[in-house]
Amino acid sequence: MAFSGDTSIQTRTGDPDVALAAAGDASAFERLYQTHVVRIHNLTRRMLGGQEADEVTQDIFVRTWQKLGQFRGESAFSTWLHRLAINVVIERRRSFAIQRDRMSDDVGALDNVSVAPARADLTVDMEHAIDQLPPGAREIFVLHDVEGYKHREIAAMLDIATGTSKRQLHRARMLLREYLSGG
Amino acid sequence: MHEEWTDQLSDYFDDELGGAEREAVEQHLRGCADCRAVLNDLKRVVAQAQSMPPRPPQADLWAGIAAQFRGTGVDGTHHSTRVPFRRPVPVRFAFTMPQLAAAAVVLMAVSAGVAWQIADRSGRNTNSAATAAAGAQPSDGARDASAPALLAAPDRDAASGAAIAQVGYADAQYDAAVADLEKALKQGRGRLDASTIAIVEHNLQIIDQAIAQAREALAGDPANSYLSGHLVEARRRKLDLLRRATALTSESN
Repeated sequence: MAFSGDTSIQTRTGDPDVALAAAGDASAFERLYQTHVVRIHNLTRRMLGGQEADEVTQDIFVRTWQKLGQFRGESAFSTWLHRLAINVVIERRRSFAIQRDRMSDDVGALDNVSVAPARADLTVDMEHAIDQLPPGAREIFVLHDVEGYKHREIAAMLDIATGTSKRQLHRARMLLREYLSGG
Repeated sequence: MHEEWTDQLSDYFDDELGGAEREAVEQHLRGCADCRAVLNDLKRVVAQAQSMPPRPPQADLWAGIAAQFRGTGVDGTHHSTRVPFRRPVPVRFAFTMPQLAAAAVVLMAVSAGVAWQIADRSGRNTNSAATAAAGAQPSDGARDASAPALLAAPDRDAASGAAIAQVGYADAQYDAAVADLEKALKQGRGRLDASTIAIVEHNLQIIDQAIAQAREALAGDPANSYLSGHLVEARRRKLDLLRRATALTSESN
Protein backbone atom coordinates (compact mmCIF):
# COMPACT_ATOMS: atom_id res chain seq x y z
CA MET A 1 0.00 0.00 0.00
CA ALA A 2 1.35 3.39 -0.93
CA PHE A 3 0.93 6.29 1.45
CA SER A 4 -0.14 9.49 -0.13
CA GLY A 5 0.35 11.41 3.10
CA ASP A 6 -0.92 14.86 3.95
CA THR A 7 -0.01 16.82 0.85
CA SER A 8 -0.56 20.13 2.61
CA ILE A 9 2.18 19.27 5.10
CA GLN A 10 4.39 18.08 2.29
CA THR A 11 3.88 21.31 0.42
CA ARG A 12 4.72 23.39 3.46
CA THR A 13 7.74 21.40 4.60
CA GLY A 14 9.09 20.38 1.21
CA ASP A 15 9.90 16.94 2.60
CA PRO A 16 7.61 14.14 1.44
CA ASP A 17 8.89 11.85 4.19
CA VAL A 18 7.40 14.11 6.85
CA ALA A 19 3.97 13.78 5.31
CA LEU A 20 4.38 10.07 4.77
CA ALA A 21 5.53 9.51 8.33
CA ALA A 22 2.66 11.61 9.65
CA ALA A 23 0.38 9.27 7.71
CA GLY A 24 1.90 6.27 9.47
CA ASP A 25 4.61 5.18 7.05
CA ALA A 26 7.30 3.62 9.22
CA SER A 27 9.86 3.49 6.42
CA ALA A 28 9.50 7.21 5.84
CA PHE A 29 9.93 7.79 9.57
CA GLU A 30 13.06 5.67 9.57
CA ARG A 31 14.43 7.86 6.79
CA LEU A 32 13.66 10.95 8.87
CA TYR A 33 15.46 9.31 11.77
CA GLN A 34 18.52 8.67 9.61
CA THR A 35 18.50 12.26 8.43
CA HIS A 36 18.23 13.85 11.86
CA VAL A 37 19.72 11.39 14.35
CA VAL A 38 23.25 12.80 14.32
CA ARG A 39 22.13 16.33 15.15
CA ILE A 40 19.73 15.16 17.85
CA HIS A 41 22.30 12.83 19.38
CA ASN A 42 24.91 15.59 19.39
CA LEU A 43 22.46 17.85 21.18
CA THR A 44 21.58 15.28 23.86
CA ARG A 45 25.18 14.16 24.32
CA ARG A 46 26.41 17.71 24.80
CA MET A 47 23.57 18.72 27.10
CA LEU A 48 23.29 15.58 29.19
CA GLY A 49 26.57 13.72 28.73
CA GLY A 50 27.44 10.59 26.85
CA GLN A 51 25.89 8.09 29.24
CA GLU A 52 22.35 9.29 28.76
CA ALA A 53 22.55 10.38 25.15
CA ASP A 54 21.56 7.10 23.51
CA GLU A 55 18.53 6.48 25.70
CA VAL A 56 17.28 10.06 25.51
CA THR A 57 17.76 10.15 21.73
CA GLN A 58 15.63 7.04 21.42
CA ASP A 59 12.99 8.60 23.66
CA ILE A 60 12.97 11.73 21.51
CA PHE A 61 12.29 9.77 18.34
CA VAL A 62 9.59 7.67 19.98
CA ARG A 63 7.88 10.87 21.08
CA THR A 64 8.38 12.39 17.65
CA TRP A 65 6.50 9.51 16.12
CA GLN A 66 3.73 9.86 18.67
CA LYS A 67 3.43 13.62 18.15
CA LEU A 68 3.83 13.78 14.38
CA GLY A 69 0.09 14.24 14.10
CA GLN A 70 0.49 17.57 15.88
CA PHE A 71 3.04 18.86 13.36
CA ARG A 72 1.29 21.39 11.14
CA GLY A 73 4.20 22.37 8.94
CA GLU A 74 4.24 25.93 10.28
CA SER A 75 7.98 25.66 10.77
CA ALA A 76 10.63 23.41 9.26
CA PHE A 77 10.40 19.84 10.51
CA SER A 78 14.00 20.07 11.74
CA THR A 79 13.12 23.12 13.84
CA TRP A 80 10.05 21.39 15.28
CA LEU A 81 12.04 18.25 16.03
CA HIS A 82 14.84 20.25 17.62
CA ARG A 83 12.46 22.03 19.98
CA LEU A 84 10.81 18.76 20.89
CA ALA A 85 14.27 17.31 21.63
CA ILE A 86 15.18 20.24 23.87
CA ASN A 87 11.91 19.85 25.75
CA VAL A 88 12.65 16.17 26.34
CA VAL A 89 16.15 17.00 27.57
CA ILE A 90 14.86 19.68 29.93
CA GLU A 91 12.17 17.35 31.18
CA ARG A 92 14.83 14.72 31.84
CA ARG A 93 16.84 17.20 33.86
CA ARG A 94 13.83 18.21 35.87
CA SER A 95 12.95 14.63 36.56
CA PHE A 96 16.21 14.36 38.42
CA ALA A 97 15.13 17.28 40.56
CA ILE A 98 18.38 19.16 40.17
CA GLN A 99 17.05 22.18 38.35
CA ARG A 100 17.05 24.48 41.35
CA ASP A 101 20.50 23.52 42.57
CA ARG A 102 22.19 23.72 39.22
CA MET A 103 20.94 27.22 38.62
CA SER A 104 22.54 28.59 41.74
CA ASP A 105 25.56 30.81 41.33
CA ASP A 106 27.60 28.54 43.52
CA VAL A 107 31.19 29.55 42.93
CA GLY A 108 32.33 26.28 44.46
CA ALA A 109 31.17 24.54 41.30
CA LEU A 110 34.22 25.96 39.57
CA ASP A 111 36.28 23.46 41.48
CA ASN A 112 34.40 20.60 39.83
CA VAL A 113 36.05 21.21 36.52
CA SER A 114 39.39 19.58 36.13
CA VAL A 115 42.07 21.14 34.00
CA ALA A 116 43.29 19.67 30.76
CA PRO A 117 46.97 19.69 29.92
CA ALA A 118 47.96 22.57 27.68
CA ARG A 119 48.08 21.50 24.06
CA ALA A 120 48.19 23.05 20.67
CA ASP A 121 45.09 21.41 19.22
CA LEU A 122 42.30 22.60 21.47
CA THR A 123 39.48 21.47 19.22
CA VAL A 124 39.76 17.84 20.22
CA ASP A 125 39.23 18.76 23.87
CA MET A 126 36.06 20.79 23.43
CA GLU A 127 33.54 17.96 23.70
CA HIS A 128 35.30 16.59 26.75
CA ALA A 129 35.52 20.03 28.30
CA ILE A 130 31.80 20.65 27.80
CA ASP A 131 31.08 17.31 29.40
CA GLN A 132 32.86 18.46 32.53
CA LEU A 133 30.91 21.68 32.99
CA PRO A 134 28.40 21.91 35.83
CA PRO A 135 25.00 20.86 34.39
CA GLY A 136 23.36 24.30 34.42
CA ALA A 137 26.28 26.07 32.81
CA ARG A 138 26.65 23.30 30.27
CA GLU A 139 23.00 23.40 29.27
CA ILE A 140 23.06 27.13 28.63
CA PHE A 141 26.43 27.06 26.90
CA VAL A 142 25.21 24.38 24.47
CA LEU A 143 21.93 26.15 23.80
CA HIS A 144 23.56 29.56 23.27
CA ASP A 145 26.98 28.99 21.77
CA VAL A 146 26.44 25.68 19.98
CA GLU A 147 22.77 25.74 19.04
CA GLY A 148 22.44 29.49 18.62
CA TYR A 149 19.49 30.31 20.88
CA LYS A 150 19.15 33.80 22.40
CA HIS A 151 19.13 34.43 26.12
CA ARG A 152 15.45 35.32 26.15
CA GLU A 153 14.62 32.05 24.35
CA ILE A 154 16.76 30.05 26.76
CA ALA A 155 15.20 31.82 29.73
CA ALA A 156 11.75 30.89 28.46
CA MET A 157 12.70 27.28 27.81
CA LEU A 158 14.31 26.78 31.20
CA ASP A 159 11.95 29.02 33.15
CA ILE A 160 14.76 31.17 34.51
CA ALA A 161 15.61 34.88 34.41
CA THR A 162 17.52 36.23 31.43
CA GLY A 163 20.21 37.47 33.79
CA THR A 164 20.70 33.97 35.12
CA SER A 165 21.17 32.69 31.60
CA LYS A 166 23.80 35.35 30.93
CA ARG A 167 25.67 34.64 34.15
CA GLN A 168 25.70 30.90 33.53
CA LEU A 169 26.93 31.39 29.98
CA HIS A 170 29.81 33.58 31.09
CA ARG A 171 30.63 31.12 33.83
CA ALA A 172 30.71 28.26 31.31
CA ARG A 173 32.94 30.18 28.92
CA MET A 174 35.39 31.11 31.66
CA LEU A 175 35.56 27.52 32.85
CA LEU A 176 36.16 26.30 29.32
CA ARG A 177 38.81 28.95 28.79
CA GLU A 178 40.58 27.76 31.92
CA TYR A 179 40.22 24.11 30.96
CA LEU A 180 41.33 24.50 27.38
CA SER A 181 44.31 26.68 28.21
CA GLY A 182 45.51 24.07 30.66
CA GLY A 183 45.65 26.44 33.49
CA MET B 1 42.56 40.16 36.36
CA HIS B 2 39.79 42.73 36.79
CA GLU B 3 36.67 40.72 37.59
CA GLU B 4 34.40 43.74 37.47
CA TRP B 5 35.35 44.02 33.82
CA THR B 6 35.85 40.40 32.84
CA ASP B 7 32.37 39.62 34.15
CA GLN B 8 31.03 41.88 31.42
CA LEU B 9 33.12 40.51 28.59
CA SER B 10 30.64 37.83 27.50
CA ASP B 11 27.83 40.35 27.39
CA TYR B 12 30.13 42.71 25.50
CA PHE B 13 31.05 40.02 22.99
CA ASP B 14 27.39 39.00 22.57
CA ASP B 15 26.37 42.64 22.08
CA GLU B 16 24.12 42.48 25.12
CA LEU B 17 25.33 45.70 26.76
CA GLY B 18 23.68 49.08 26.60
CA GLY B 19 25.47 52.00 24.95
CA ALA B 20 27.09 53.48 28.07
CA GLU B 21 28.18 50.10 29.44
CA ARG B 22 29.63 49.11 26.11
CA GLU B 23 31.56 52.30 25.84
CA ALA B 24 32.98 51.86 29.33
CA VAL B 25 34.13 48.31 28.58
CA GLU B 26 35.78 49.42 25.34
CA GLN B 27 37.60 52.19 27.12
CA HIS B 28 38.91 49.71 29.70
CA LEU B 29 39.97 47.25 27.02
CA ARG B 30 42.04 49.86 25.27
CA GLY B 31 44.24 50.16 28.32
CA CYS B 32 44.16 46.59 29.72
CA ALA B 33 46.09 43.86 27.92
CA ASP B 34 44.93 41.21 30.41
CA CYS B 35 41.27 41.83 29.71
CA ARG B 36 41.91 41.91 25.98
CA ALA B 37 43.55 38.51 26.31
CA VAL B 38 40.55 37.17 28.22
CA LEU B 39 38.20 38.53 25.57
CA ASN B 40 40.24 36.85 22.84
CA ASP B 41 40.14 33.57 24.78
CA LEU B 42 36.36 33.81 25.12
CA LYS B 43 36.05 34.43 21.40
CA ARG B 44 38.18 31.38 20.77
CA VAL B 45 36.03 29.23 23.07
CA VAL B 46 32.89 30.28 21.22
CA ALA B 47 34.52 29.72 17.84
CA GLN B 48 35.57 26.23 18.83
CA ALA B 49 32.10 25.43 20.16
CA GLN B 50 30.57 26.50 16.88
CA SER B 51 33.00 24.47 14.82
CA MET B 52 32.72 21.15 16.64
CA PRO B 53 32.27 18.46 14.01
CA PRO B 54 29.10 16.36 14.18
CA ARG B 55 29.62 12.91 15.63
CA PRO B 56 27.18 10.09 14.96
CA PRO B 57 26.07 7.81 17.81
CA GLN B 58 28.34 4.83 18.28
CA ALA B 59 25.46 2.38 18.47
CA ASP B 60 22.58 1.85 16.08
CA LEU B 61 19.65 3.29 18.01
CA TRP B 62 16.93 2.50 15.50
CA ALA B 63 16.29 -1.06 16.64
CA GLY B 64 15.62 0.18 20.16
CA ILE B 65 13.26 2.85 18.88
CA ALA B 66 11.31 0.36 16.79
CA ALA B 67 11.12 -1.99 19.77
CA GLN B 68 9.63 0.76 21.92
CA PHE B 69 6.97 1.44 19.34
CA ARG B 70 5.98 -2.15 19.44
CA GLY B 71 6.03 -2.24 23.21
CA THR B 72 4.00 0.87 23.87
CA GLY B 73 1.73 0.88 20.89
CA VAL B 74 1.00 3.80 18.67
CA ASP B 75 -0.53 6.94 20.12
CA GLY B 76 -4.25 6.66 19.72
CA THR B 77 -4.91 10.31 18.94
CA HIS B 78 -2.41 10.25 16.15
CA HIS B 79 -2.55 6.96 14.36
CA SER B 80 -5.63 5.18 15.56
CA THR B 81 -7.03 4.93 12.07
CA ARG B 82 -3.73 4.67 10.33
CA VAL B 83 -1.30 1.95 9.54
CA PRO B 84 0.54 0.72 12.62
CA PHE B 85 4.28 1.24 12.89
CA ARG B 86 5.05 -2.39 12.20
CA ARG B 87 2.62 -3.97 9.87
CA PRO B 88 2.14 -7.65 10.61
CA VAL B 89 4.59 -9.72 8.64
CA PRO B 90 3.78 -13.38 8.01
CA VAL B 91 6.51 -15.16 9.94
CA ARG B 92 6.76 -18.88 10.43
CA PHE B 93 7.74 -18.80 14.07
CA ALA B 94 8.66 -22.17 15.43
CA PHE B 95 8.73 -20.66 18.92
CA THR B 96 6.79 -17.96 20.70
CA MET B 97 8.64 -15.29 22.64
CA PRO B 98 7.99 -16.95 26.03
CA GLN B 99 9.23 -20.21 24.57
CA LEU B 100 12.37 -18.51 23.33
CA ALA B 101 12.86 -16.97 26.75
CA ALA B 102 12.50 -20.40 28.31
CA ALA B 103 14.94 -21.78 25.75
CA ALA B 104 17.46 -19.15 26.76
CA VAL B 105 17.18 -20.24 30.38
CA VAL B 106 17.64 -23.89 29.39
CA LEU B 107 20.59 -22.91 27.22
CA MET B 108 22.24 -21.10 30.11
CA ALA B 109 21.74 -24.08 32.41
CA VAL B 110 22.99 -26.54 29.83
CA SER B 111 26.10 -24.53 29.04
CA ALA B 112 26.93 -23.96 32.68
CA GLY B 113 26.28 -27.63 33.40
CA VAL B 114 28.42 -28.96 30.62
CA ALA B 115 31.23 -26.61 31.53
CA TRP B 116 31.03 -27.94 35.07
CA GLN B 117 31.02 -31.54 33.89
CA ILE B 118 33.99 -31.01 31.62
CA ALA B 119 35.87 -29.26 34.37
CA ASP B 120 34.89 -31.95 36.84
CA ARG B 121 36.23 -34.70 34.61
CA SER B 122 39.37 -32.78 33.91
CA GLY B 123 39.74 -31.94 37.57
CA ARG B 124 40.51 -35.56 38.32
CA ASN B 125 43.87 -34.91 36.74
CA THR B 126 44.36 -31.18 37.09
CA ASN B 127 43.07 -28.30 39.18
CA SER B 128 43.21 -25.83 36.31
CA ALA B 129 39.99 -27.08 34.73
CA ALA B 130 38.08 -26.48 37.95
CA THR B 131 39.35 -22.91 37.89
CA ALA B 132 38.04 -22.54 34.36
CA ALA B 133 34.59 -23.79 35.34
CA ALA B 134 34.45 -21.41 38.26
CA GLY B 135 35.29 -18.62 35.86
CA ALA B 136 32.57 -19.65 33.46
CA GLN B 137 29.55 -19.40 35.68
CA PRO B 138 29.59 -15.80 36.92
CA SER B 139 30.20 -14.51 33.43
CA ASP B 140 27.15 -16.37 32.17
CA GLY B 141 24.82 -14.33 34.26
CA ALA B 142 26.72 -11.11 34.21
CA ARG B 143 27.29 -10.72 30.50
CA ASP B 144 24.92 -8.33 28.85
CA ALA B 145 23.84 -9.50 25.43
CA SER B 146 23.36 -5.91 24.33
CA ALA B 147 26.92 -4.98 25.22
CA PRO B 148 29.60 -4.99 22.55
CA ALA B 149 29.78 -8.63 21.63
CA LEU B 150 33.40 -9.36 22.26
CA LEU B 151 34.83 -12.13 24.32
CA ALA B 152 38.41 -12.29 25.44
CA ALA B 153 39.91 -15.74 25.12
CA PRO B 154 40.91 -17.30 28.43
CA ASP B 155 44.64 -17.41 29.05
CA ARG B 156 44.41 -21.16 29.19
CA ASP B 157 43.25 -21.21 25.59
CA ALA B 158 46.20 -19.13 24.57
CA ALA B 159 48.47 -21.68 26.13
CA SER B 160 46.70 -24.47 24.31
CA GLY B 161 47.35 -23.00 20.91
CA ALA B 162 43.63 -22.65 20.18
CA ALA B 163 43.67 -19.00 21.07
CA ILE B 164 41.52 -16.25 19.61
CA ALA B 165 42.34 -12.86 21.06
CA GLN B 166 38.92 -11.28 20.54
CA VAL B 167 36.04 -12.39 18.42
CA GLY B 168 33.05 -10.37 17.33
CA TYR B 169 29.86 -12.39 17.17
CA ALA B 170 28.53 -10.69 14.10
CA ASP B 171 31.46 -10.96 11.79
CA ALA B 172 33.46 -13.44 9.78
CA GLN B 173 35.97 -13.76 12.60
CA TYR B 174 33.42 -15.70 14.57
CA ASP B 175 32.81 -18.27 11.85
CA ALA B 176 36.53 -18.71 11.32
CA ALA B 177 37.11 -19.14 15.06
CA VAL B 178 34.34 -21.71 15.34
CA ALA B 179 35.67 -23.61 12.32
CA ASP B 180 39.18 -23.67 13.81
CA LEU B 181 37.93 -24.89 17.17
CA GLU B 182 35.72 -27.55 15.61
CA LYS B 183 38.69 -28.78 13.61
CA ALA B 184 40.89 -28.84 16.71
CA LEU B 185 38.20 -30.67 18.65
CA LYS B 186 37.79 -33.23 15.90
CA GLN B 187 41.52 -33.86 15.86
CA GLY B 188 41.70 -34.19 19.63
CA ARG B 189 38.52 -36.10 20.33
CA GLY B 190 40.46 -39.34 20.58
CA ARG B 191 41.97 -38.01 23.79
CA LEU B 192 38.57 -37.57 25.47
CA ASP B 193 36.48 -40.36 26.90
CA ALA B 194 33.25 -41.34 25.16
CA SER B 195 30.90 -39.87 27.74
CA THR B 196 32.61 -36.46 27.59
CA ILE B 197 32.38 -36.47 23.80
CA ALA B 198 28.70 -37.35 24.03
CA ILE B 199 28.01 -34.49 26.45
CA VAL B 200 29.85 -31.98 24.32
CA GLU B 201 28.20 -33.05 21.07
CA HIS B 202 24.74 -33.17 22.60
CA ASN B 203 25.07 -29.65 23.94
CA LEU B 204 26.57 -28.30 20.76
CA GLN B 205 23.51 -29.69 19.00
CA ILE B 206 21.21 -27.85 21.43
CA ILE B 207 23.11 -24.60 20.96
CA ASP B 208 23.07 -24.98 17.17
CA GLN B 209 19.30 -25.46 17.31
CA ALA B 210 18.95 -22.32 19.40
CA ILE B 211 21.08 -20.37 16.91
CA ALA B 212 19.05 -21.64 13.97
CA GLN B 213 15.75 -20.78 15.64
CA ALA B 214 16.90 -17.31 16.60
CA ARG B 215 18.07 -16.68 13.03
CA GLU B 216 14.77 -17.84 11.60
CA ALA B 217 12.83 -15.62 13.95
CA LEU B 218 15.10 -12.65 13.21
CA ALA B 219 14.56 -13.11 9.49
CA GLY B 220 10.92 -12.26 10.06
CA ASP B 221 11.50 -9.61 12.71
CA PRO B 222 14.96 -8.12 12.15
CA ALA B 223 14.47 -5.19 14.54
CA ASN B 224 13.67 -7.38 17.53
CA SER B 225 16.36 -6.58 20.10
CA TYR B 226 15.44 -9.57 22.29
CA LEU B 227 16.01 -11.98 19.42
CA SER B 228 19.30 -10.27 18.53
CA GLY B 229 20.49 -10.65 22.09
CA HIS B 230 19.36 -14.26 22.17
CA LEU B 231 21.34 -15.00 19.02
CA VAL B 232 24.46 -13.27 20.32
CA GLU B 233 24.22 -15.18 23.59
CA ALA B 234 23.78 -18.54 21.86
CA ARG B 235 26.76 -17.87 19.60
CA ARG B 236 28.85 -16.84 22.58
CA ARG B 237 27.98 -20.04 24.37
CA LYS B 238 28.90 -22.15 21.39
CA LEU B 239 32.30 -20.48 21.17
CA ASP B 240 32.80 -20.84 24.91
CA LEU B 241 31.89 -24.53 24.90
CA LEU B 242 34.17 -25.25 21.94
CA ARG B 243 37.05 -23.45 23.60
CA ARG B 244 36.66 -25.38 26.82
CA ALA B 245 36.31 -28.72 25.07
CA THR B 246 39.33 -28.01 22.86
CA ALA B 247 41.38 -26.93 25.84
CA LEU B 248 40.43 -30.20 27.52
CA THR B 249 41.85 -32.22 24.63
CA SER B 250 45.19 -30.45 24.96
CA GLU B 251 45.22 -30.97 28.73
CA SER B 252 44.68 -34.66 28.18
CA ASN B 253 47.92 -34.94 26.20
